[in-house]
Amino acid sequence: MLKEAQDHANRPDNTAFTQQRLPAWQPMLSAGIVIPGFVLIGLAFIGIGVALFVTSKSIQELEIDYTGFEKDSACYKCSDQKPVTCLCQLNFTVESLLKGPVFFYYGLSNYFQNYRRYTVSKDDDQLYGNLDNFKSPSSTCSPYEYNRTNVPIVPCGSIANSKFNDTFKLYQKVNATMKPVPFDGKGIAWWTDYNIKYRNPNIIPLRNAFNGTTQPISWPSPAYELDTGNPSNNGFINQDFLVWMRTAALPDFRKLYRRITEGDYAQGLPAGSYMLDIEYNYNVLSFDGRKKVVFSNVSWMGGKNDFLGIAYLVVGSMCIFMSIVMLIVYAKFKFPEED
Amino acid sequence: MICRDLIGFSHSTGLEAPPPFLLLSSEGGPAAAVPLGSLRLLSCKGLLHGAMAEESLESGLTWEVRANSRRYHTRRQKKSFRCFRWGRYADNVIRSHKFSPLTFLPLTLFEQFQRVANLYFLLMVVLQSVPVISSIPWYITIIPLAIILSVRGMKDLASDMARRRSDGEINSRPCDVLVSQSFNRAQWRDLHVGDVLRIHKNQVIPADLLLLCSSEPHSLCYVETADIDGETNLKYRQALSATHSELTCRPSQETLAAFDGVVFCEEPNNRLYVFRGQLHWRGKCFLLENEHILLRGTVLRNTEFAYGVAVYTGADTKIMRSCGKLRVKRTRTERGFNRVVMGIVLCVLLTAVLLAIGAGVFSSWAVSHAGPLTPLVVDGNPAYAGFLMFWSYIILLSPAMPIALYISFEVIHSVHSLFINWDLEMYWQPADGPAQARNTSLNEELGQVGYLLSDKTGTLTQNRLLFRQCCIAGEIYGDASVRAEEIEPMDLSWNPFSRGGLFMTAPGLLDKLRGRQCPFSTQFLRALSLCHTVMAQWKEEAPVYQAASPDEEALVGAARELGWVFLSRTRECVVVSELGVTRQYQLLALLDFTSKRRRMSVLVREPEGGLKLYSKGADIVILERLQKDSPYQEGIERALESFAQACLRTLCVAVRSVPEASWEQWSKTLGQSAAMATADRDALLEKLYDEMERELQLIGVTAIEDRLQEGVPETIALLKQAGLKVWVLTGDKKETAVNVGYSCKLLDPETRLVEWQELRQILQSPDPGVSFFKARQTELWAVDKQAAGAKTALVLTGPELAEFDQRPEWGAAFMSLADRCQSVLCCRVTPGQKADVVALVKKHTGAVTMSIGDGANDVNMIKTAHVGVGIAGVEGSQAVQNADFALSQFRFLQRLLLVHGRWSYRRISLFLLYFLFKTCGFALVHVWFGFFNGFSAQSLYETWFIALYTAFYTAFPVMCLAFFEQDASAASSLKWPELYKTGQRQELSSPLVMSSSLLYAVYTSLVLFFVPFGVYYDTAYDYQTMALTVALAAMLTATTEIVLLTRYWTKFNVVTVLVSVGLFFLCTRITQSPFLFQRAPKDYYFIGVSDNAFVDPLVWLAALLATWTAALPSVAALALKVVLAKRDKHRVHSASRHPAQLSAHWRRGAPPRRSSRAPGPQGGGPGVRSTVPTVDEQVAVKVVAPPPGSLENSL
Repeated sequence: MLKEAQDHANRPDNTAFTQQRLPAWQPMLSAGIVIPGFVLIGLAFIGIGVALFVTSKSIQELEIDYTGFEKDSACYKCSDQKPVTCLCQLNFTVESLLKGPVFFYYGLSNYFQNYRRYTVSKDDDQLYGNLDNFKSPSSTCSPYEYNRTNVPIVPCGSIANSKFNDTFKLYQKVNATMKPVPFDGKGIAWWTDYNIKYRNPNIIPLRNAFNGTTQPISWPSPAYELDTGNPSNNGFINQDFLVWMRTAALPDFRKLYRRITEGDYAQGLPAGSYMLDIEYNYNVLSFDGRKKVVFSNVSWMGGKNDFLGIAYLVVGSMCIFMSIVMLIVYAKFKFPEED
Repeated sequence: MICRDLIGFSHSTGLEAPPPFLLLSSEGGPAAAVPLGSLRLLSCKGLLHGAMAEESLESGLTWEVRANSRRYHTRRQKKSFRCFRWGRYADNVIRSHKFSPLTFLPLTLFEQFQRVANLYFLLMVVLQSVPVISSIPWYITIIPLAIILSVRGMKDLASDMARRRSDGEINSRPCDVLVSQSFNRAQWRDLHVGDVLRIHKNQVIPADLLLLCSSEPHSLCYVETADIDGETNLKYRQALSATHSELTCRPSQETLAAFDGVVFCEEPNNRLYVFRGQLHWRGKCFLLENEHILLRGTVLRNTEFAYGVAVYTGADTKIMRSCGKLRVKRTRTERGFNRVVMGIVLCVLLTAVLLAIGAGVFSSWAVSHAGPLTPLVVDGNPAYAGFLMFWSYIILLSPAMPIALYISFEVIHSVHSLFINWDLEMYWQPADGPAQARNTSLNEELGQVGYLLSDKTGTLTQNRLLFRQCCIAGEIYGDASVRAEEIEPMDLSWNPFSRGGLFMTAPGLLDKLRGRQCPFSTQFLRALSLCHTVMAQWKEEAPVYQAASPDEEALVGAARELGWVFLSRTRECVVVSELGVTRQYQLLALLDFTSKRRRMSVLVREPEGGLKLYSKGADIVILERLQKDSPYQEGIERALESFAQACLRTLCVAVRSVPEASWEQWSKTLGQSAAMATADRDALLEKLYDEMERELQLIGVTAIEDRLQEGVPETIALLKQAGLKVWVLTGDKKETAVNVGYSCKLLDPETRLVEWQELRQILQSPDPGVSFFKARQTELWAVDKQAAGAKTALVLTGPELAEFDQRPEWGAAFMSLADRCQSVLCCRVTPGQKADVVALVKKHTGAVTMSIGDGANDVNMIKTAHVGVGIAGVEGSQAVQNADFALSQFRFLQRLLLVHGRWSYRRISLFLLYFLFKTCGFALVHVWFGFFNGFSAQSLYETWFIALYTAFYTAFPVMCLAFFEQDASAASSLKWPELYKTGQRQELSSPLVMSSSLLYAVYTSLVLFFVPFGVYYDTAYDYQTMALTVALAAMLTATTEIVLLTRYWTKFNVVTVLVSVGLFFLCTRITQSPFLFQRAPKDYYFIGVSDNAFVDPLVWLAALLATWTAALPSVAALALKVVLAKRDKHRVHSASRHPAQLSAHWRRGAPPRRSSRAPGPQGGGPGVRSTVPTVDEQVAVKVVAPPPGSLENSL
């Protein structure tokens, strides 16, 4: 016995693994599976596409450009790059009830918030409330680390510095009186941003934390005065600030400004004439940008998005088309061989 | 072997230079190169030591060794401090390890960064740590790089530790060194040049020694060189007569201690079979030869003691010098892939340049249009900004370079090689020999072989040689048409030395021999028992023969059976028992065998006093050296022809009586020429040998049968179906080769043989390149236009091949002709020519060549071919040691190629294509994104995703694919050899396929970017959500692709796919968790993105759409392939349902005429002999193909 074992000392093991005979599932594809499979997938995509398209169409959206580029535009007078605050009124009518809850966005175009040197131009540690970074902001904030007199800027960096600072007030014209439409500014930023990612230093009053620092150059007031009335919306956890700091994916983008959920307007904006009171501070014309405001309601798929529905329909149809081609090919080249 | 054992470079298992002359010839005859036996005491002219030394220096003998003077040598020992080295003599310590604890890190890093890919990534890390251009943080690239470096480093360290251990073990082996008049036990490491050593029986020799004397008579000693050349037969070494007589007659230790000779020899070199030197002792000068030297690594056998003085030690020894690095063979796929990778690098550079230009343009726009970006343009200088952006894009696009590819490639190759080693179907029980993948980087090449160039002897045949027939004085004895097993053994009971093993019935010969009626028969057998280099070892009162070649063993064995028993040999004589009468022949000279001479002779003085020269050799060389009007020549030549047609190996035996005067004259000249230490000595010796081997009288011919290996015809038929061109290269005669060609199904009976004259005509036609086809169809090949190419074979011989050297322009023409033929047989070729033929095929066809052989004469061609296979056979292990794959049987080749090769090719090709696709498809999205972020090298992924994508999310399933994928089972692969053609046509690895994979990657990247782009354009979705969407889609696309590629789902495949997808979600959740963010806000800045994105249906819908759209071409292609699949393809998949006999397949192709003969008189069964054609069958063949080159010509 032992001798035999020695004689075959080099004999390989006879296992499924070493002999490459592992049990395995080998899917056997045939035309009978492939073609109906394609049809099914195509139908599924078309189904999703139809659902998306219908949903998207049902979403009402009102979009008004207020850059003031054209001469007849309401805000034309504000577009001449004067640093002085300029006010303009935008009149518009809602033809039929804009069902609530209505979301109020501002939108910017040709604005490269995804430019790399722009997106990195902030100090996450500083915004997390780390006081060390108040004294010496991270170099990523350059060129908005320190002001000319070498005082550290808080919040530092390009993103904060370029914060969108137009403000809006909406009125409905009811019998020649202006009825203000109440805005809801709570919870427009991400929960994680508001609760975890951004944090004010644990110093009360908040302004003391900012001793020895200065506000961003283009800001009219320091961060601790963003919303003096509401400590939970002040400093780094100011909702507008948070929304701005969450940089956009693409050069044309919207950002949520307010929601209209309260009072008479909880059910939406009734048909009628409205006036948007704009405090025009933010200049975009210098870099061929555009500004707009958008009123929109939302569905399960978020805001209006025709692209996705159409894309699903196109891809679904392509699958169906391909299955037809395959069927023809199968019929033409396959059957003669079957005999 | 010894290279690995003693030095341990795992990759340097072969000997660097082939031996300067071949030890054995597998065909052609008796073998073993034994240095001139009769060269003994030859004194140099000078007497004074100084004068002699000067002369030695002049002749290049500059290495001086003084026996017993350790102090002289230790002062000159090689030493080193840092980078300074001095001294001359190496110590006897082997240091094959590369690393010490201190040097490991720098050395391993240095070695690894010699790889371009690693260096490239190091450069990336450096670039990334420059803040102004860093588009992704430095740690993102360093993670995969560190993994790769440490895996590689660990592997190197482990093998280095193993080497260090084996070094230590070798260095501390014991040996006896003479110190102050007594032998002391010492370790190998303590040995110095000039030390006198005592070697015991069965001890390994620790350094290259000059043999002084031994315990045996005449100071002979026997060594086994298995560790050097793989040959297991014993070789003898012999001390100089002078040292023998002076040092053995008196008590040894004192005399040895007093020995004060000085050796002058060549500087250390790697020539294992050559030694030139002189011993200066007691005012005399003795010439030293290879036979006086015991090489390190050989083992002393059959000798109680041997004494020697160390000449070369440690790194200076010949074996250490010849352990060169093996030439690295690279596979075609790898080369192609390297080109693709280089192409990717160039594309990345070009893209980066274009993007940088875009960045410059954008920057100048930003500078001129005041906005938030204006201050961000570096220095306000658009050109500089563009320049910086170039580097940023290089970094960002670097994941397109498959960094993990090379290490994965190595792992996959090793696993495939293990599968080969583990295959039970390639394990040969009788020899306990599994298949071995000795080179673990050529696996996929096995699946692409277009040309198989095979040796004949020992590869197609068994090389178990049987003496079947002989022809003495024109009379033929024995009958080779009867199977060896069915031979009725002759009654040899009268012969006490008979041990069986003679498969020949020739009572007539026995009668003649025993009756001493025929002097020719006596001469014939005397020649067989004298003219050889066999050693006799006595075991149980009978000699056991140790022969360097199986031919010799068969011949000497046959002589023993017939009563002429070779008993023993010394340096001076050979003792033979002739029918019970012991006779001692004085051995005057032994003219050794070389592959060039193809003959050997011994010059002996018979007990009666006459001088006789016995020669044996290939017919071609013996027949031209015969005396005029040799009797029986015609009959013997006829016999030669008939033996050759019966596939027997023949040798001519001849004798010559040498006059005393002529011998004296000759030996004097020989002595003088042998004393010459110059390079043309060999040529001179050869000329002298030639002078002696003249005027021979032909006595007879021996015929040895070499049977086909099991399964050879089936294997060749299968390989031919698989589209391989099988060529046979052999040293044998044309007739033998052609017959083996027929019997192993390489040639069909109706195959037309085109020989040299006809071929030459075609090659010489004015415009050979164009006129081939025409010529074939019009005049020369007019017999059957359709089948002309398919049913034609070329037959060439060595001398004819040599003409190709003069006419290099014929090469291409020849190959294009050969390409249309069934096969090519090259006969009478030397080892060098075998390699030349391989090189010719390599040069003129793009195909992968494979050489297979078993002997030392095949080493050249094994090394030259893309893939070399060695058959572990009778003729030592030289071929195996130089081969990339080692098999025990030729028939295992079908499994190696059709199963392992095909699988490997498919697996590795799919792996490479997928790797290309997944890395490029994933990295190129940044190019498209660049158009929408101002060419700012913004990453579209979370940096952690970039790091983990290659390592975690997509690596494991493709590794499983590369390990386990089988599109057809092993049985189906063998059943449908046509499947193999995929590899030959490079259907999965051609540049076109790789480019289309790249194109597909580009398409995927477009989809991966533009679908989310469309969805998120002008919406409130932020950059990070989009990044996660694209990442999700990229991961899902990569997974879908691997699911589509995998056709063989083992549990491992399923698990790895699930784990990879799971890992993506797990790691994404982890890197985006508050926990990590709170510890390092800067590095985990994607916090909360997955919380928001994974609950948003739009994200899922966008990712799903992108995934499906990206995978659509691949799915559609697969579906179309399924729809268009031919019926036989379906049959392959369902092969297991129709078990069919493999053999039925090749038999079908055989024409009725031959198959009817197959079960002829010899009977059926798997018997190999049955397929060998008989003589009259050959006549039929010859009618089909009239031989333009007659036998006389070829002889």
